[in-house]
Amino acid sequence: MGATVKTIERKGSSLIERLYLIEIFKGMATTFGHLWRNLADNRRLYVRHYPEVQPEIPVRWRGRHRLTTHPDNTVKCVACFMCQTNCPANCIMIEAGERLDGKAEKMPVKFNIDLLECIYCGYCVEACPVDAIRMDTGIFSVTGNKKESFVLGLEELLTTPGAFSEEEYKKGGA
Amino acid sequence: MSPLDYLMIAIRVAFSAFVPLCFVAVCVWMERRGAGYFQDRSGPNRAGIFGFRAAGLVQNLADGLKLAFKEDIISQHIKHKFFFVLAPVIVFFTAVVSFAVVPYADTLVLNGKSYMMQGIPVDLGILWFIALAGFSVYGIILAGWSSSNKYGILGSLRSAAQVISYEIPMGLAIVSLLIVYGTVSLNEMAQFQGKLLFGFIPMWGAVLQPVGMVIFIIAAFAECNRTPFDLAEGESEIVAGFHVEYSAMKFAIFFMGEYVAMFASSSIIVTLFFGGYQIPFLSTATLLNWAKPVAFLLMIALPVVMYFFAGWIRRSNVSHYPRENDPRVFEANVYIKCFWGLIVILELVLLAILFSPSGGAAASIFVALLQICTLLLKVTMMIFVFIWVRWTLPRFRYDQLQKLGWQMLLPLALLNIFITSAVVVALS
Amino acid sequence: MADKIKLFVNGVEVEVEAGKNLIDAVGAVGIEIPHLCYHPALGADGNCRMCLVGIEDGRPPLVPACKTPAQEGMKVLLDAEHIKKIQHDVMEFELINHPTDCPVCDQAGECKLQDYYMSYDHAKSRMNVPQVVKGKKMDFGAGVVHDQERCVVCGRCVRFCRQITKTGELGIINRTDDARVNIFPGRPLANRYAINVVDLCPVGAMTSKDFRFKQRVWFLKKAPGICHGCSKGCNITIDHNREKYKDDIIYRFRPRLNEQVNGYFMCDEGRLSYKKENEGRLTEARLGTKVRPIDDVLAACSKEMEQAAKIAILLSPNCSLEQMVTVQALAEKIGAALSGYSEGYIKTGDGDDYLIQDDKSANRAGLNLLGIDSSKEGFEKAVQEASLLLNFNNDLTLSYQENELTKLLKDTKIVAVAAAANQCTAMADMAIPVASFSEYAGTLINCDNILQHFAKAITKNEDLADICTIAARLGSPLQNDNERYSVLQKCISALKEFGVDQIPAEGLNLKKSEAANVTA
Repeated sequence: MGATVKTIERKGSSLIERLYLIEIFKGMATTFGHLWRNLADNRRLYVRHYPEVQPEIPVRWRGRHRLTTHPDNTVKCVACFMCQTNCPANCIMIEAGERLDGKAEKMPVKFNIDLLECIYCGYCVEACPVDAIRMDTGIFSVTGNKKESFVLGLEELLTTPGAFSEEEYKKGGA
Repeated sequence: MSPLDYLMIAIRVAFSAFVPLCFVAVCVWMERRGAGYFQDRSGPNRAGIFGFRAAGLVQNLADGLKLAFKEDIISQHIKHKFFFVLAPVIVFFTAVVSFAVVPYADTLVLNGKSYMMQGIPVDLGILWFIALAGFSVYGIILAGWSSSNKYGILGSLRSAAQVISYEIPMGLAIVSLLIVYGTVSLNEMAQFQGKLLFGFIPMWGAVLQPVGMVIFIIAAFAECNRTPFDLAEGESEIVAGFHVEYSAMKFAIFFMGEYVAMFASSSIIVTLFFGGYQIPFLSTATLLNWAKPVAFLLMIALPVVMYFFAGWIRRSNVSHYPRENDPRVFEANVYIKCFWGLIVILELVLLAILFSPSGGAAASIFVALLQICTLLLKVTMMIFVFIWVRWTLPRFRYDQLQKLGWQMLLPLALLNIFITSAVVVALS
Repeated sequence: MADKIKLFVNGVEVEVEAGKNLIDAVGAVGIEIPHLCYHPALGADGNCRMCLVGIEDGRPPLVPACKTPAQEGMKVLLDAEHIKKIQHDVMEFELINHPTDCPVCDQAGECKLQDYYMSYDHAKSRMNVPQVVKGKKMDFGAGVVHDQERCVVCGRCVRFCRQITKTGELGIINRTDDARVNIFPGRPLANRYAINVVDLCPVGAMTSKDFRFKQRVWFLKKAPGICHGCSKGCNITIDHNREKYKDDIIYRFRPRLNEQVNGYFMCDEGRLSYKKENEGRLTEARLGTKVRPIDDVLAACSKEMEQAAKIAILLSPNCSLEQMVTVQALAEKIGAALSGYSEGYIKTGDGDDYLIQDDKSANRAGLNLLGIDSSKEGFEKAVQEASLLLNFNNDLTLSYQENELTKLLKDTKIVAVAAAANQCTAMADMAIPVASFSEYAGTLINCDNILQHFAKAITKNEDLADICTIAARLGSPLQNDNERYSVLQKCISALKEFGVDQIPAEGLNLKKSEAANVTA
C-alpha cells in the first residue's frame, strides 16, 4: 500500500512568466478587482462588524476559565494539581490546604491563573479528574490596566458563571 | 523685489513644504483603508470625533496623538545618541527637500514677471533628486548602526546594498531620458511633454521611453524601501530592521519620512514620464487661450461628479448591521452637505473667472491652479500604484533582489541607452 | 565480594550474588519483581503475594520471591501467562476496597500501587458492592496521619515499630476485608523514628503531617545530601522545588540508603531540620545597624582586621573540612587565635544506640582531626586578649547564657559570619550571611570516623557565598577548591588516592591510625 503521490506542476518557468512584469500585472489586476468590488459596495466585505456585532460562541470554544462548584456553591476542585502539571504554559499556580467540610480531604487555598501566560489550550480542562475547571464562560476578550489584573484568583474563577447550560455543555463533547 | 515677489516666494516654499506633509495623512489613510479593501476587509474606520469618522481619517489623528505623547525611549546600550537622533532627521529632511525641485505648474507670468513654480527655483532638477535620494539612505544606515542592534544593523546593511544596486539602473534610465529631453530641468521636461506626437499622442516620457519608465519605477520603489523591496524593514525576518530601536516621535519621523519619500518619488515619476502638471492635449498656451470655456465646462462637470459622489457616500456610509436611527446616515448627510458647500464655492470662483477680463492675471492663476490640481491628481494615482503594488506582491528574497538589479535592470538600462541614442541620432 | 551464582530469568541467564532472596538478587541486576510487603530492612513477610514467581521444573512450581533464596541454576518465570494472571489478580484484590483517591493522595507519584496498576493490572474495577468504609485521616501522633482505606495491610509499619524501634505501637486489628492498621487506644506513635513509616508505606496510607498537601511529589527535584542535625551524618535526599516566581525551597528530607552510616532510616528531628534551611536565615549583610551590600561589609571587616591588635576566630563544628582548613589558613596568616569551642552543641544523654547522637554538630571529628583547639579556657583566653572576634557560624548562645555572653564579649568587636539569624548575629557589630549546608559542597567526618562528601543541592535565586569564599575574601591563602582539597589530602592520608569526585558514595572509613589521630 504505497502512498498516493500527486505531482504538482512547477510554475514560473515559461518565458512570459519569467518576464515577471506580465505576471505582476495579472496579480495587480486581481487585487484591483477586489478593491473595486469593495469600493463599489462595501457591504460585501468579509468582515464581522465587531464590537457592535459580537461573534457567536460555540459550546466547545475555549474561553476564559472558571472553577465549577458543588450545588451548595463550594469549590469542586480538590487541588490535585493535574491542571498545573499538564499546563504547557505554566500559568496555573495552586496552593493546597486541608478541607474540613467532608466533601474531600483537600481543597485549593489559592488558585491563580496568569492569563497573560495562558495559551488557552484547554489541557487543564482535559486533565481535571473532577470537572472542576472549565473554559465555558464564553469570555474571549480579557482586558486590564495592570499586569496584576490578569492573574485570576480563586474568588474570580468561582464567581464567573458558565455561558451554557449543563446539557449543552455535555452535548458539546466535554 | 516687489511685495508680489516676496508673496510668491512664501507661497511656493509653503507649497513645497506643506503639501508633502499633508499628503502623509492622505497616504497613510489610502494605505490602510486601501489595504483593507484589497484584502476584503474594511481597514481602520472606528476612530471618530463625536461620531464623525471621516472615512477613517480620524484614525490618523489618533495615531499621531498617540505617537506624540508616547514615551521617547533611547536605550541604555546606545552609545552614539547624537547619530541615533540624527538618523530619522536625515531620512525625513531629504525626503521633504527632494520635492522642492518638482514644478507643480508651468512658469507663471504675473505683471510681466515670470515665476518658476517650484520650491527652490533652480534648474538642477533630476540631479538634485538623485543626490538626495542617495543621501537619504545614510539616515537608514546611521539608524541601524547607531541602534547597536543586530536586527538594526542587518536592516541597514540590506538597505545599503539595495541602494547601491538600484541607483545604477535608475541613473542609467535617466540618462536615456536626458538624451530624449536634452535637459536636466524638470520644468523644461514637463514643458516638452506638453507637445503632441504625430499630432494626437501626448509626448509623455512613458510613450517615448517605456523601458526607461519601467526601470525607473522599479528603482524608485527600491529607493523608497517599499514592498517588494522592503528588505530593510522585513518585519517578518528582522523584526523592523533599521528602526527596531526607535519609538514614539522618532519612529513617527521615520514613518512620515517613508511616505514623504513616496510622495516625492511619485511626483518625480509623474514629472518625468506622465507629463508632470500637463493636462493631456491642453498645453499651457492652449489653456491660457481657452481659460473661459474650460472654466465653463468645469462648472457643468463638477455638480454632475458630485451628484454621483454623494450617492456613493450615501450608499457606503451606513452601518452594515441592524441598527435603529443609524447615526451614520446623519453623518453621511453632513458630509454630502459639506461637499455641496465646497462645490458651490468652487462654482462661484469659476463664475468669477468667467466674468473676469480676458488675458488678465486671473486666467494665468486659474491655469496654474488647474495644473497644480492635475499634478496632485497624477501624484495621488501614482501613490495609489505604490500602495497597490505593496498589497499585491510579496517581498523579494535578498538574492532575487540583487539578481533583478544587476542581471536584469542594469543590462536593460544600458541597452535602452544605446537604442535611444541611435534613434535620436538617426532622427536628428 | 560475595559469591556469584548463575540462574535463569525468563530463560535468560543472569549472574547474581549468592545468599540473597530472589527479589534482591534479581533486583540488583535490574530485573524488578513486584512486591508490596517485602522491605530489605524489615525482612520477608510473605503476606501480599505480589512477588509470586514461577520456578520451572521446581517443587513447588509457584513461590513468593521474597522468601526464596536465589540458587544456582534456578529457572525463574516472570512473564509466563499464569504469573501475569496472578499479578493481575493480586492487584485487583488489593484494589477492591481501595478508594482510588489519587488526586488528593500525597503518595501519588511515588505509590507502588499506582505503578503496579499501570504495569500489571490496567483493568477496570469489577466491584458492584459498596466498598468497606474505614477510618480516614487518623492522627497517629508523631506527625503521622493514617488512612485505613488506602492501606493494603502489608504490615511494613507494624514490623518497623516492632523490629527497628522495638516500641510496637502499631498493630493490625480485625480480619479479612475489615483488617486495618491501628494504634492501641490512647497510645499514639511515640518514638523518635516514627515518620519512617511514611517512607516505608508502599501506598498512601501513611502520610506525613508536615508534608501533607505541601507539594505534589512529581514537582520535587531530588538532590542527595547529608543531614547536619547530629554527628551521625545520615544520608538524605533533599526534595526541593522552585515554584514559579518564588525561591528554591526545600520541602522535605528523606533518608537515603547508606549501609555504612544510617541504613534505610533517619530520625524525625533530622528529617524536620529542613525547616532551618528555609526559615530564620540571615539574608542581608549588616554593618552596625544598617543593611549594606555584602561587599561593603567585607571591606569594613578587612579594615577592622588590619587595625585590630589581636584577633580571635571561632569556628563552628558544623563547618565542612574545606571551610575549616580555609579558616585555619586565614588564622595562621593573620596570627589569630583559632578556637572551635562548641560545648553547647553536645546534649548529653539525648542520643540513643541507633542513629541519634549526643553531639548535635556534624563535623566535630574534623575539628579534632585538624588540631583546632576547642577547649573553653582556650576560647575565653583568646577572646579576652583579642579586640576583634570573627565568628564563623558558631551559635555561642548554645554554650553560654545570655548575660555570660555579653559579659565575655563586652570589649570585643564581633563579626558574625552566619547562615541563621539568631542572638549571636543580633549582638554582632557586623553580620555577613553565608550559605547553609544544602547550598554548598563539602566534606564531613561523622562520629564513626566515616568521611563523606556532599554536593551542592540548592541554588537560591540570590545565591549566598559559603564560608570558604568569605574566608578567602578576607585574606585566606586558600583561594580555590583545589588548594583546599590538596591541604585536606595532606592532613588525611586516606584521601591521597582519591580525587574530590572519587570519594565513595557510601563514605570512606578512615584508617585506624587516622582514628587514633582523631581521638588524640
